[in-house]
Amino acid sequence: MGSMATAYLTGFGAYLPGDPVDNDGIAARLGGDDPVTERIRRRVLDANGIRQRHYALDEHGEPTELNEQLAVKALQAALDDRGIEASDLRMLACATTMGDVLVPGFASMVHGRLGGGPMQLLSAAGVCASSLAALDAAVSKIRLGDHPRVAVVGSELSSRSLRQRRFDGIRAGMDSHFLRWMLSDGAGAVVVEFQPHPSKPSLRVDWVRQVSLAHEHDVCMRAGMSGDAPSVGDTWQDVDIADAEAAGMFVLRQDVSMLDELADAGLAQFEELVDIGLVDVTKLDHVICHYSTNMFRDLAFDGLRRRIPTLDTDRWFSNLETRGNTGSASIFIALEEAWRTGRFAPGETVLLAVPESGRFSFAFAHLTVVAPPDQPSPSPQQQGAAA
Amino acid sequence: MTTDTTFATSATDAATGVDTLADRLAEVWVELEERLDRVPVLSRLAAGTVTLHDYQRLLFNLRQQVVDGSPWISRAASNFDIDHFELRTAAIRHAEEEHRDYLMLERDYVAIGGTLAELRAGRKNLGSEALSGYMFHYADQPNPVGLLGAMFIIEGLGAKRAAGWAARFQEVLGLADSQVHFMRYHEQADSEHTGDLEAILTSGIIDDAAADEIVRCAQVVARLYALQLEELDR
Repeated sequence: MGSMATAYLTGFGAYLPGDPVDNDGIAARLGGDDPVTERIRRRVLDANGIRQRHYALDEHGEPTELNEQLAVKALQAALDDRGIEASDLRMLACATTMGDVLVPGFASMVHGRLGGGPMQLLSAAGVCASSLAALDAAVSKIRLGDHPRVAVVGSELSSRSLRQRRFDGIRAGMDSHFLRWMLSDGAGAVVVEFQPHPSKPSLRVDWVRQVSLAHEHDVCMRAGMSGDAPSVGDTWQDVDIADAEAAGMFVLRQDVSMLDELADAGLAQFEELVDIGLVDVTKLDHVICHYSTNMFRDLAFDGLRRRIPTLDTDRWFSNLETRGNTGSASIFIALEEAWRTGRFAPGETVLLAVPESGRFSFAFAHLTVVAPPDQPSPSPQQQGAAA
Repeated sequence: MTTDTTFATSATDAATGVDTLADRLAEVWVELEERLDRVPVLSRLAAGTVTLHDYQRLLFNLRQQVVDGSPWISRAASNFDIDHFELRTAAIRHAEEEHRDYLMLERDYVAIGGTLAELRAGRKNLGSEALSGYMFHYADQPNPVGLLGAMFIIEGLGAKRAAGWAARFQEVLGLADSQVHFMRYHEQADSEHTGDLEAILTSGIIDDAAADEIVRCAQVVARLYALQLEELDR
């Protein structure tokens, strides 16, 4: 019968390295300017709808920053937005698909660079949904009253592994091209606290939910093994590094034939949220959904609209086309832009949705916009929704 | 040796309608409650206008005096002679039970965003100075039986009021249980202590002179405790 605190998102930050790169600027960074690759790239770009993205690579394709630097810049932006210092944090939860180094954990490196005082760390591994796994851990510790203030960051620097040198002499089918021309770099962060922002609106976290369906699905997105299942003695850690590279184990791949199944499974998860009452479709005002390509935006949008006929494009937010697909950073980068550009009003609700193809994981978070403590929500109806 | 006489006196008092020790302490308690209602931070708590800053300052101020709790009880224990062996026993046990309490308070303070360094660098407020000074002075006397009156007030606040304050702070500020450990814990711990205290007060080992001392000490401690709450950060 213990009482718990409430978790609020009170600061938002994003960092996208370098100038935006349009579709014509990709080849200079990632290579692949032969006619065949060129043709595939155009096809993939047409399908995913991404018009510009950011790479932590200079115009010759050489790295300009570390992943941990992207994370720290997004965190710093979130701390500045909230008006606090790294020394005010008691926990840092970091999500990334691949850190800069194999050991130690990503969060240790981010904390080392960020500074501040002693704090609890979590490195959430996985792919896109690791962002909300990190958020869930932060929110749980806030609710327990263990920490007053936690920062969460999702950060990706995939571009360096998408460059031509990884692909030279390797069989690269659609399973690798699809990701190569879709993924890019960036980081997004939020500050989570047990009290709302004293003078600005905050996002109250109503719940976070993450579900894996790996028990009934094969691997969809992978690196470090040949084929779609690891076998003893045959992962990148078992064979010679040169052999692993020659076998294409260091190329990030996705079985694109499974993506329709992924979309169906994601919609089924959303249906379940409605079914068990976690989402009240009559009171859901905004949806921020992470998806890899516009093809899935249309599938997801239509699927949601079946349950929420009033859902129009105004209530649906994504910045995939201008910020690219930044994996675990995407949901926070989108949330930051939606928040900063004033899309949300006190009393309104927001659903974050992150499907992860890796091996079928789905994460959602439900948020409610709350006015600062001294300015109650405007209408009685909205107050009711926030209560 | 005095036991029989004392018991007889108490029984006579009750029979003849003279105020018993319990009645006299109850009167002190009622007066304390009236005064507490006028303490600014507690009236804000009751009104629901209390802030996180209020809670943080309250913990900060209490901590500076709570760290002295076990030491004055220990000092009192060492001043009970062998004729007051039971009181010595009770004081030693009580001091042992209390001497880690301030750590709970410190964890609460950190859990709501404060730092241990600033908390431990704090000083007593005017009321805490007076309260602590009085307790140590009193505990230095031979057989300081009157301190049972101090315990009646301090343990009573823990048993009867602290949990209510904790619940109200939680309700108004949305705090988790682990941010109000200190106040919640005292409901149970101090109820046990007040039970022990009642057993001593009604055991017949308290004579008339001791009863007067106990009531006087309760009056002083009640006033100084309220002063401690009134003088936050001063």
